[in-house]
Amino acid sequence: MNHLSDDDLVLHYYGEDAPDMVAAERHLKSCAQCARAYETLARSLDAVTPPEFVGSVDDLPDLREMIRARLRAHSSPLGVGRSTRWEETGLIALVWLVPLAYPFSLQALFGSARWTQEHVVGIPLVAFALIWACAGPFLAMSAMNRFESHSGLSTRLLVFGALMAAISPALFLFVSRVDASLALNLGVWAWYGALAVAALAAMVRWPDTSYSKEQLSYVHRLTALFLTVFVLAHVINQALAFVSLASYTAMRGVMRGASQQPATYALLVAAVVIQITTGAAVSMKNLRSGSFARNLQTVSGWFLAAFLLVHVLSPVLFSPPTEVSTTAAASASQFDLLATPRSAAQLPFLLLGVAAFLSHVGVYARLAALAYLAEASVRRLSYAGALVGTTVVVAVGLSLCGIHL
Amino acid sequence: MNDGCDLEVFLSLVERHRRYMYNLALRMTGNEQDAKDVVQDSLLNAYLHLEQFERRANLRTWLNRILVNCALDHLRSRRRRPDVSEPQPISDVADTIASSSPDPERLLASADWRRQVSAAMDTMSPLERVTFALRHFEGCSINEIAQTVGIGNNAAKQHIFRAVRKIRLALEPHWSGR
Repeated sequence: MNHLSDDDLVLHYYGEDAPDMVAAERHLKSCAQCARAYETLARSLDAVTPPEFVGSVDDLPDLREMIRARLRAHSSPLGVGRSTRWEETGLIALVWLVPLAYPFSLQALFGSARWTQEHVVGIPLVAFALIWACAGPFLAMSAMNRFESHSGLSTRLLVFGALMAAISPALFLFVSRVDASLALNLGVWAWYGALAVAALAAMVRWPDTSYSKEQLSYVHRLTALFLTVFVLAHVINQALAFVSLASYTAMRGVMRGASQQPATYALLVAAVVIQITTGAAVSMKNLRSGSFARNLQTVSGWFLAAFLLVHVLSPVLFSPPTEVSTTAAASASQFDLLATPRSAAQLPFLLLGVAAFLSHVGVYARLAALAYLAEASVRRLSYAGALVGTTVVVAVGLSLCGIHL
Repeated sequence: MNDGCDLEVFLSLVERHRRYMYNLALRMTGNEQDAKDVVQDSLLNAYLHLEQFERRANLRTWLNRILVNCALDHLRSRRRRPDVSEPQPISDVADTIASSSPDPERLLASADWRRQVSAAMDTMSPLERVTFALRHFEGCSINEIAQTVGIGNNAAKQHIFRAVRKIRLALEPHWSGR
């Protein structure tokens, strides 16, 4: 056996080296160098004894008074918890208002873009309309951070409302495609019909899956690895369009050729389906109030699922393919998504898709990095990653609006 | 949210766990005032989210999880407003502790030693401190720590390794050569 490392010695000290414990002990008996190192470690750790609380813990009256005071601060004069209930109702109304108003944000986006062609002062209006159209996932994040319980109708309404707010840009495109593909010509009523179905689904209590979070996460990560290669190539290429349209078009041709091979396409579709189902199950187990990182991963995962559904499954679900293309530049020959009302709907869809992908992978990378780096280093890397991600999203956004270097 | 009647029931439910909670909070935060704040915050949180407590779960496990998260929040906010005092030199404290005589000199040395250990623990990040306290003082397995703190097994292990390295860095110079 080789010499035991410092970490091996720590595991041995705490009895956490179960499969190798006997071998480690045998080695310590035969190797003077390791035995000395272990003795020094044990001496230091043995000297770290647990402190005992010597103060009084008979502070029950104080504790009772503190909890009552905090409850009074939370509640209205009319009754305990009433203001919280109003707050919750307001939050539910707000998250459902986002998808209800979503079609108007697209009209505002296209209208302000047209106005910009005549007056330069319209640019802030375009930015405002774009923020409005992209606000859903951020509002969903805020709602998830405030949500209080894991059961009950109000929680389901809040979670489903947050889900609909988060995926509105993708789901709106999907519903429009279904409407166009089936020649229903329902227009915006198709969208409100979809929202009504989601509201009804929120009324039903959903069963808990019997698979553990670890099993689901493992399958989720496995298929994510496969998809990440394709999505990352897409994102890089989309950012490349900001620099050179010719390079963008050439690379897009190569990627399309690869992804349209029957075997590759079948694998892609299967990976997306597995991603959506395992992601949905894991996210429902992961919801936790006030946990920013987990909720960011959940909300970005929701959007990614809807994004991939529209982007990859559309040719399978709608045959023959509709005229609307979800590929950024292909939909508008002049590479300007603000050129037509139809292509304008793709701007928040694609921008949020890139942001969701980077956030989802970023949060996972941050959690994984904690296993190898100190917290402070991970925090600094996270800030750097957020800066790079924002730059990529802005570059993609500008290229999609027809602004290139 | 619970009404006023539930508060008395809740307090009697948690009564038998409070001494344990104060000790655990002290071991994670390092001083009694912070431990008191952490216990009060976690009991308030537990009361406000009582309906989330699943009947099949163990009450102490559930309270521990809330306590650990409150301690982490507290340690993180404490790092943002640092109040770091210089650790005192140990001199011959290690030798004195090693002897078995319970005389006043030894008690004084023991207090000095404790301060030195405390200073070493102050150099740890919140996650390192909490995972180390759970492993070293409470005897929780790495798997239990990972579940309580909400991180992966490997991450929990690495935090403990880093914490032990900091302890060794502070204490081993006093053992070497003896």
